[in-house]
Amino acid sequence: MVKIALYCILLTSFIYAKTGVYEKNCIPCHEDMAVKIDKFFYRYLLKYSSEVEVKNAIKSYLKNPKAENSILVDGLINRFGVKKKTTLNDEQLQEALDTYWDQYQVFDKLK
Amino acid sequence: MLALKNWDINLRSREKKTLRSFLLLYAFLTLLILAFVAFLYYGLERDLMLQHQRETLSNLTNEQIAKLKALHINFDKDQTYPRDERFNSAIYDSSLKQIFSTLKAKKVNLYEDIYLKNNHIYFIKELESYYLGARYIVIEVPEPSSWDKKVLRKLLGYGALIFTVLVVIGYFLLNLLLRPMKDTIALLDRFIKDTTHELNTPVNAILNNIEMIDEQSLDESLLKKIRRITIASKTISNLYDDLTYLVLSHQILSQDVEVDLKVLIEERLEYFSLLFESKKIELFTELAEGVVLTIDRKKMAKLIDNILSNAIKYNKIGGTIHIKLTQHEIEIKDSGRGIEKSKINQVFERYSRFDRSVGGFGIGLSIVASIAKEYNLQIKIDSILSQGTTVRISW
Repeated sequence: MVKIALYCILLTSFIYAKTGVYEKNCIPCHEDMAVKIDKFFYRYLLKYSSEVEVKNAIKSYLKNPKAENSILVDGLINRFGVKKKTTLNDEQLQEALDTYWDQYQVFDKLK
Repeated sequence: MLALKNWDINLRSREKKTLRSFLLLYAFLTLLILAFVAFLYYGLERDLMLQHQRETLSNLTNEQIAKLKALHINFDKDQTYPRDERFNSAIYDSSLKQIFSTLKAKKVNLYEDIYLKNNHIYFIKELESYYLGARYIVIEVPEPSSWDKKVLRKLLGYGALIFTVLVVIGYFLLNLLLRPMKDTIALLDRFIKDTTHELNTPVNAILNNIEMIDEQSLDESLLKKIRRITIASKTISNLYDDLTYLVLSHQILSQDVEVDLKVLIEERLEYFSLLFESKKIELFTELAEGVVLTIDRKKMAKLIDNILSNAIKYNKIGGTIHIKLTQHEIEIKDSGRGIEKSKINQVFERYSRFDRSVGGFGIGLSIVASIAKEYNLQIKIDSILSQGTTVRISW
């Protein structure tokens, strides 16, 4: 009985997780890339420092992706190219960014 | 010079007050200026010390940045913030939010470059690449031991030296300021001394000769004239006594004996009897028997004389004087013109005179005060303008 309940909880959380904007719209493509998604985060952090600035920078890139405002070095841009413009609305984008920030921010992780 | 020897006694209380205020103000200003200079000097020394530390701190910061860089690159494997026993550090993002800190201080001023607080030096540097999102890095090290002790020692040493020099200058300044006043007092004292010498012989000659005249053999008109001469001579003699006391008081040794005050007062009243008569003053006495004080007889007589002579001098023609002697008090009450309330406190000051319509130097009550002080007698003056004055001497 306990086992069944445990499975149910796990399953629910899994389904719930998969329904997040970030998990549905960002992870699938990034999963297959040679450069993992966390590396992008730390590159942004390196350049923009604070939460607000990092989120703004990613948001403005996703809305209008160009080689000039990309965080990637030229070599990688040349190799992989620039992504397509986002189809997410502002609210969804914000939600995805919040999830992304919470997952990789360093504040709580440093010890 | 007499006045210079005794200037602290001779100076009036108002002048003393001025002197005290001057000294206080001078010392206060001197200390204020010294404190200001010391404050500036301390600031300069502190900045100098911080400049010396800057290079070392910059190197330490660079080391820490290198470690942060390594951590940033390998953050997925290791999340331990780099620590160093030589210093504490903290990192802040561009919105000044603290990312991580090992500092003792809770709050850091990131707008400064380097500063000293609570015995620690804080060195702030802005990163070129924001490893872990850190835009600012703060390094905290303890201040070099006893640097401020050295500075404070220096400050105290020089401060004390300069203060001493300034105090000496202040002393000379004060003397310069006081000189005209001292000179005036000295001049007045010398004048009185010289005058006194010249007065003694003639006055005694007059009084002795009047005493030798046989009053019975004189007619009424001549007797009246002789009495007037007696009054005038006694007034001069009294003044002479006062002046002598004033000028030589510090040289006169007190000869304390038991004095019966009733006898003394009656004797003094007898001495002044002609003066009472001439002003038609009615005298009321109420003298208790057997009141005895151990005191210099001449000084006590001088004290009573001066109060009585004032009571007569400032009384109106046909006025009254009440004298009452009890076990602990002599009360002399006149019906004279009175003293203004605001001036009562000044009557004991030497040369202080409020009424120039009658003669005098303004020394009588100053003598009274000095005798009273010597024998611990309390003097109280109550006065109502144009009604009279009551002087009470109690012990």
